[in-house]
Amino acid sequence: MRAKIETKKYVIAFVITAMVFFGALLVSNRFQNKRLSEIKSIENKLSLDILSSETQFALLKESSCKAIDHSTAFSEELNSLAQKLSYMEDNLGEENAEVINLKKYYSLLQIKDYLLVAQVKEKCGVKPITIIYFYSNNGDCTDCKREGFVLTKLREEYPELRIYAFDYNLDLSAVKTMKSIQGVRNTLPALVIWEENYYGFKSTEDIEKIIPQLKKLRAAREKAATATSTRK
Amino acid sequence: MIETFFDSILYTFLFVTLYLEVFFLITFFEERLKLAVKSSSAKLSYYPSTTIIVPCWNEEKTVSKTVDSLLGLHYPKDRLQIFIIDDGSTDSTWEVIQKFADNPQIKLFKKENGGKHTAVNLGIENSTSELIGCLDADSFVDKNALHEIARAFNEDLHMMAATPVLIVHEPKTILQKMQKTEYHTGTFLKRMLSPLDAINVTPGPFSIFRREVFEKIGLYKNAHNTEDMEFALRMQSHHMRIRNVHTALVHTTAPGTLYKLYRQRLRWTYGTMKNTLDYRFMIFRREYGILGMITLPLFFFGIFIFLYNFGFIAFHTARSVIDKAIQISTVGLSFAFPRFDPFFFNTDFMAILSYVFLGLGLVIIWNGTKLAEGRFRPSMGIFYYIFLYGIVAPIWFTRAVINLIFSSGTKWR
Repeated sequence: MRAKIETKKYVIAFVITAMVFFGALLVSNRFQNKRLSEIKSIENKLSLDILSSETQFALLKESSCKAIDHSTAFSEELNSLAQKLSYMEDNLGEENAEVINLKKYYSLLQIKDYLLVAQVKEKCGVKPITIIYFYSNNGDCTDCKREGFVLTKLREEYPELRIYAFDYNLDLSAVKTMKSIQGVRNTLPALVIWEENYYGFKSTEDIEKIIPQLKKLRAAREKAATATSTRK
Repeated sequence: MIETFFDSILYTFLFVTLYLEVFFLITFFEERLKLAVKSSSAKLSYYPSTTIIVPCWNEEKTVSKTVDSLLGLHYPKDRLQIFIIDDGSTDSTWEVIQKFADNPQIKLFKKENGGKHTAVNLGIENSTSELIGCLDADSFVDKNALHEIARAFNEDLHMMAATPVLIVHEPKTILQKMQKTEYHTGTFLKRMLSPLDAINVTPGPFSIFRREVFEKIGLYKNAHNTEDMEFALRMQSHHMRIRNVHTALVHTTAPGTLYKLYRQRLRWTYGTMKNTLDYRFMIFRREYGILGMITLPLFFFGIFIFLYNFGFIAFHTARSVIDKAIQISTVGLSFAFPRFDPFFFNTDFMAILSYVFLGLGLVIIWNGTKLAEGRFRPSMGIFYYIFLYGIVAPIWFTRAVINLIFSSGTKWR
């Protein structure tokens, strides 16, 4: 006599499986939402900080040059935000509405920071090192991934270097204006360094050649490190 | 769009896999009291007469140890006969087994090479006992194995065949250690299939049958080099009960090199698919119970599901490796220690499902090890099984599918 099929057991197994399966989906969604909120909250904080800097700068006028050290301000925050946003883009997809919104907000924050740096440059006579980078995720830019690696490495190596990365195809008027002001063509990857446009892949060495100050920064850092170790 | 299509197939497969794991774990919960039964040397009310057939083909190195283990069984000597059948060996197997010629429990046979099933059939034809079994000449029985199986036959008069728990004998290489854990999971699965009357193979090492099985359904026949599977399916098609006796332990030698493992598994996988196709009339038929509804579809379609899932993982792994290679070739190696940020801890749907599968897999390994060895002991075999099996198994699965499509068979060795 063969063991009978117990329909009840099949059903119970199905219910438990469905609960685990959809439970995993719910937990995953919850974590994704938590991440999106974290990015939102970082963006809000950054927005407030930039606004505060702008206000402080407007209030103090020229004397603000001493009060505000803008050489590395927001650079780390923008960098961390970029990594998190890129992670979410990989996970949820480039078409995800939430991701696109966060990306737009991030692009605006970058432009605001860029404008603030421009003000500092004009009023304080400093020459900050900035790179504006245009990329595309639409599969039409084979070298964008490599360029991304180069810029990430440079960003880690030189905190003084301010890199503003924009998705060339992002549907945001401010980004479109940025493109037209800089006169960037649709030949990607595109870099804007000191108001000059460069198209195609540029290696670390290429960029260091374009910006000789980077080597000076490295030399200064190495000298400081040697001095510290000698003192010990 | 294409990605969504492939993801949907993957999720369906994962749901089915999860369903089966849950189903077996529910069965485990139902069976937990019976699983606590340990091997006992208490005398049996009746000792059925038994013949154990040892088919040999070039087994000069291991056959003596196999026969010695049979002679050491805790079972009345006058109730146990051993047939050693030399299936046309070309080495000195025949000379080696001559040392057993004078043992009244043992009979020696020599025949022309005709394949394992012909040797076993010769033994069956010459036996007169109530129980008939087989033991491959590279396997060794635990001294209580037959005693436990005879007890199970005494307790269940409808039971027509009994299969033991197989344990990998003295694993030395990484692959053998991996197989040891694999066998433990197999132990769990077979024990769960047993009360469901859904066992689809009576393995060569020490499966024991009532004589009437052969009288009713005939002897072994040539079946894609996996005659033990064909025979089990033939029994199932006649609604004959096959049970797994988890207290009967048999140690078997596992292939130590990748090539030998590949040959063996290719034969098993191809044989599984071909035999399942030969008995396809049982698939999804309620009258064949869980065998028809779960075991046969699982063992046939499971291979395709496994390969699909493997393909998915391999595709994503390859993509990550290519990205990493591009990164290294562009900016060189970075030796900076990555900072831990919980934000980047992978919690997407696939990752959470993987954690669930890993957890359930560990529960199965834990309980399979307990069944086979009496208690759970962490070992490197578990690590090798989790991280290595998924990489090596696709090799023979893929080849078996190719052989199936192009109808090219497999060889024994």
